[in-house]
Parts: sequence; structure tokens; C-alpha cells
Amino acid sequence: MLRAIVRKEVRETVRDGRFRWGAALVGLLLFLSLAAGFAHRKEVERAHASAQAMSWAQWLEQGDKNPHSAAHYGIYVFRPVSSLSFVDRGVDPYMGVSTWLESHYQNPFENRAVQDTPALARFADLTAASTLQLLVPLLILLLAFRSFAGEREQGTLRQLLSVGVNPRRLATGKVLGVGAALAILLVPAAAVGALALLMAGPGGGATGDEGLRYILLLATYLAYFGIFTALAIGVSALASSSRTALALLLCFWIGNGLLAPRIASDVARSQVPLPSSLEFQAGIQADLSQGFDAHPPRELRQQILRDSVLAAHDVADPAELPFNFAGLSLQSGEDFANLVFDRRFGALGRRVEEQLELHRRLGLLAPHLSVRSLSMALTGTDPAHHERYAGAAEEHRRLIQRILNEDIMANSRFGETYIADGSLWARVPEFEYQGPGIRWSLAGQGTAAAGLLVWLLLGAILTRVGATAVARRA
Amino acid sequence: MLKAENLSKRYEGSTALSDLNLEVNPGEIYCLLGANGAGKSTTIRLFLNFIQPSSGRATVDGVDVTKAPLETKKVLAYIPEQVMLYPHLSALENLEYFAALAGHEHYSRKELEAFLLRSGLQADAHAQRVSTYSKGMRQKVGIAIALAKRARALLLDEPTSGLDPEASNEFSGLLQQLRGDGVAILMATHDLFRAKELGSRVGIMRRGLLRAELDPSTLGHADLERIYLDHMHD
Repeated sequence: MLRAIVRKEVRETVRDGRFRWGAALVGLLLFLSLAAGFAHRKEVERAHASAQAMSWAQWLEQGDKNPHSAAHYGIYVFRPVSSLSFVDRGVDPYMGVSTWLESHYQNPFENRAVQDTPALARFADLTAASTLQLLVPLLILLLAFRSFAGEREQGTLRQLLSVGVNPRRLATGKVLGVGAALAILLVPAAAVGALALLMAGPGGGATGDEGLRYILLLATYLAYFGIFTALAIGVSALASSSRTALALLLCFWIGNGLLAPRIASDVARSQVPLPSSLEFQAGIQADLSQGFDAHPPRELRQQILRDSVLAAHDVADPAELPFNFAGLSLQSGEDFANLVFDRRFGALGRRVEEQLELHRRLGLLAPHLSVRSLSMALTGTDPAHHERYAGAAEEHRRLIQRILNEDIMANSRFGETYIADGSLWARVPEFEYQGPGIRWSLAGQGTAAAGLLVWLLLGAILTRVGATAVARRA
Repeated sequence: MLKAENLSKRYEGSTALSDLNLEVNPGEIYCLLGANGAGKSTTIRLFLNFIQPSSGRATVDGVDVTKAPLETKKVLAYIPEQVMLYPHLSALENLEYFAALAGHEHYSRKELEAFLLRSGLQADAHAQRVSTYSKGMRQKVGIAIALAKRARALLLDEPTSGLDPEASNEFSGLLQQLRGDGVAILMATHDLFRAKELGSRVGIMRRGLLRAELDPSTLGHADLERIYLDHMHD
């Protein structure tokens, strides 16, 4: 019986010109956005890889030079683009793509894509994720709002109930019918996506579990569409007319897709305020020069270091030390700065994570927030992934400094002008970033997954309540 | 087969039906006559369990319709004034769907076509979308649905109003066939002529009350009309 209901719903839907046009339009947008995402990813990946290679080549070929001036010369590194970013670019456009690994300082990421984009063009920034998160649900609502209300208005509902069909079975069939009609559009899109993933190959930071990520991504969006289908069928059953059903559902769509993200970020910003960039940098500078907690100011730190090292080696002058004190002093400065960076960036990271968790909790109010969070996590484009990359780059920066400072310590004498041999630069390992596994990516997503499940349950309940009401209000 | 026992339906401040007692046996056509608002449609909707009785009960084959609404509907077929079908589907697809929902998913295309032919629908119309159908053709699909679900009782709510005389006559012929097959038929109508011609019995209703029950075979057309008008005007 279920099969008969599904077949009839699909038949009717497919013969409806409105569905054909709507589905063609959404389908076109979906394929275009996948293609655009694919091309964009490829282009960016190529550009990043070549820029990073160029910077590395320049590093290796800087010739004979003092190691500390090489440290200031530095290396540029560019964030690799995740393979699945052709589906969801996440916060990629808002985060910088490159940073400069130099001595003394953890530089922020620069070159945000949005900075090169005129404000109006952002609306045209079509990604598969925004099509899936906003337009497909709209199509679902347009497909489903008449399902019960329209049948009631055209009189077929009474005719249908007179043959003794169980209204719950009918509602289930209608949900599956919408799903089957959508499958005509989404199954090819999913296949194209899988093909694109295969063609993209293991991109920068690939982890080898892209296939699993893709499957979970499909499951996430399937659940999201299930929510909309169930809600639409339930509302259609409960509303007094199909126009009311459509109005209610459109209100929900606007609230979910357009208002909720705004409200969520406003709430997050007011509940967990972040320091401005200026304040943040000033804080770091203050820590560095004046110290923090039990750490004394800069001059005193240098004094203490000098005195303790001289005392430990029982000498009166740094020149008498068995190593170059300048190298030790530089590294000691790095070590202290690293403490400051860990403390300041760590606190900032925790605030950002608090904001994100607040977003995910608010996902209980709007499933869009949950699906967005899961989608970005699975595609490796959420703030946590950026944070992780930034952490790896910073680790590498510290490694470079240590290698160079130790070279100064070991191979030069205090007070002399030291020029290191050009072969030194190759002793610094090239920066290679390994992206996280899926476990790491999903670690913080429990709330988002729960939000999606709660909404799915809500949709199922609404459909059931609606079906029961239909029987009474034929 | 169809039985109403002290069946009543009251809405706030008004009585749609009070203490109706009637019985329709297999092979009988019971015609309910009466003006709009007399309680005819209310009676039919109570049998379909679309509305709940205030008191009394309606039974189908001895089963209370409020106790087992899905089971009793399996036995019934309902043909309203306008049989409502899916306009984007053909007659065949509509029939297939309604039959499947009634629990008959096993019919082949040939069998479904046979039901439509028996209901008087020309073969060349079977695959056409119902949106192009006349009212008479829709009523025939309604009969085909009744045949396909092997209904043993038929509830008709002014099924011939708006049909041209030829279509109406054809429809009567179909009802007589069904009666011959032992189907119990309860028909609400305004058509005294049809009631006289078809009815095994005729009930006259006014303001929710069954005022008289007549055997039309003992009456002429003029007698039935006189009795009907007498009940409307006192």
C-alpha cells in the first residue's frame, strides 16, 4: 500500500509543471555550484601550492647570511584546501589563507577572500552548501505544502479516507513520496559530487577518509531534508488551508535559513564577546614588554637570564661562555613569547569555541545551524580546522627559530658578525600539513547532531499528530 | 447490512439528525428524500465515520463504525455528488490508487480496465487525465472504485444531481446491476423520479427526522410527490 501511495505522489509531482520548473532550477543551481566549487578549489589549491613552493625555494636560496636575519626573512605558508570544500567552503572565505613564519612573532592569517570581494558579490557567492541548506528545503516546502491541505480542498481527501486508508500510513507514504520525487534530483547530484571527489583526489591535508566524510555528509543532508519534509507534511495536515500551510512553512523557512544565523551570531557575540584585533595585539605587546603573572618585564627578564647563565658557568662575561650567548638569549626570548602566544591565542581560541558551541546549542531552535556546523566539520572548513592549521604553522615557526638560534649558539662567538653557510637553510624541514581524521573533525559536533535528531523527531511527531487530525477533520 | 439505531447528531444549538432508525439489506436500494439540511448527508457521513454520532450508533455488517472505522470502510463505497479524483492522473491510475489503498493492490491492468468498462467508461478514455472528464465520467470512475474494492454497501450522496438525463439513466442502470449483485445501497437524493424508479424503499426526511418510510412499488409518481410535499409543508 505504501508503494502505491509513493508511486501516486511521485506521478502527480512529476506531472506538475511547478515541480518540473522548480526542480530544474534548483538542480541547475546545484550542478553549477558543484562545478564552480570544484573549479574554485582546484584553482586555489594550485595557487596556494605554487606560492608556498616559491616561498620555500626563496628560503633555500637566500645564500650565506646571518641565521637571525634569515629568521626575519621567514617563510610564507598557505593553507591547503580540503578536498570536500567544493561542497562547503565553510568559513574559508572569511579566514586568511596565508601566514608569515618569522622570528619573535605569531603572525595572524592574512588575505581573506572576502576582502577581495565587493559586498554585493557575496550574494552571488553560490556554493553547493547554500543550495542544499536553503534552496532544496524551499523546493521541499513547495512540493509538500499542498499534500494534505490541497487534497482536502480538492475533495480527494474525503474520497481517500472513505476507502478506509489508515491516515498514518497515508502520511508516511506522502513523506516517502516527497523523498522519491526529490531523489530524481538529488541522486544524480550526489553521484556528480562523488565523481568530483574522486577527480579532486587527495587534496592538500587529505586524510584518506574523504569517502566516509562524503557518506556522512550525504546522511546529514538527508536528515535535514527529512526534517523539512516531515514538518511540511505535518503542517499541511494541520493547517486550515493550503495557503495557510504555505505561509506558515515559508515563515519557518525564513526564520530557519535567514534569521536564525543572524540571531545566533548576534547572541554569540553579545554573550561571548571577543576582543578587537587591536585590543588583542595590544594585550600581546603588553605581556611581552611588561610580563604577566610572576613573569617580570623584558629588561628584568634579560638581566635575570644573563646573571643566571653566567653564574651557572661561573664566568663573569658572556664572551667567556662555551657557546654564543646571543643565540641563547634569542631562543629565551622566543620561549617567553611562545608562553604569551599560547596564553593569548589559547584564550581567544577558547572564546571562539564557546561561541561556536552556543551556535550549535541554538541549533535546537533552527536546524540550519546544526546542519551548517556538521557540514563544515565534515568538509573540514570550520573554524576548528583553521585553528588546527594555524597551530601546526605556529609549531613549525617555533621549530625554525629553534634550529636557527641553536646554530647561532653552537657555531658563532659572542659579539662577532656571524655569517652562516647557505646550506643551513635546508636543515629546516619543509612545512607539510596533515589534516585531521574524521574523529577529530566530529569531536565537537555532538550538540549539532543532537539538534538535527531532535528536529527529525519533532517532524515525525508533527506528521503523526497531523495524520491523526486529518482523520477527524475530513 | 447498513443499520442506524437511534442515530443522532447534535451540534451546538441545533439537531442535524435525531433518533434515526433504518436498515438497508443486501440487494436493497434505500432512497432518502428531503430538502437541503434534512439530515441526509449527515446520515451518510455518520456511516463513513467522518463525524461522530452524539448518540445511537451506525453499524455496517453488524460492526459499529466508530469502533472499527477502517474495517467498516473496507466494506463501504462512497460516491458523493461529485466524485473527487486526482486531475493529473488518468482514470486507470486513479482507480489503481484507490483500489490499492482499499487493500487491493493485486489487480492487473486488464482487471482494472474491466472495472472501468463495467462502469460504462469507454476504453479510449481510460488513459486520459481525469481533468478532461465530464461529471458523468467521474461518477463512473466512482462506481469502478466500488466494484474494484468489492464494496458490499454503497453510500451515495446526490450522485445524479447535475447529470444530464441520459447519464443519469445510465447511472441508474449501474445501480440496478449492483443491487442485483447483492449490494446494499443507501442513496440521498432530491430526484423523486429516480427514487420512485430505483428505490426498494423511500424515506422522507425533514429537519433531522425520518418522517415516513414508503414502498414506492405501491405508489405512482404523482402519489410520491404529493406525500413528499405534504411532509414538507405541515
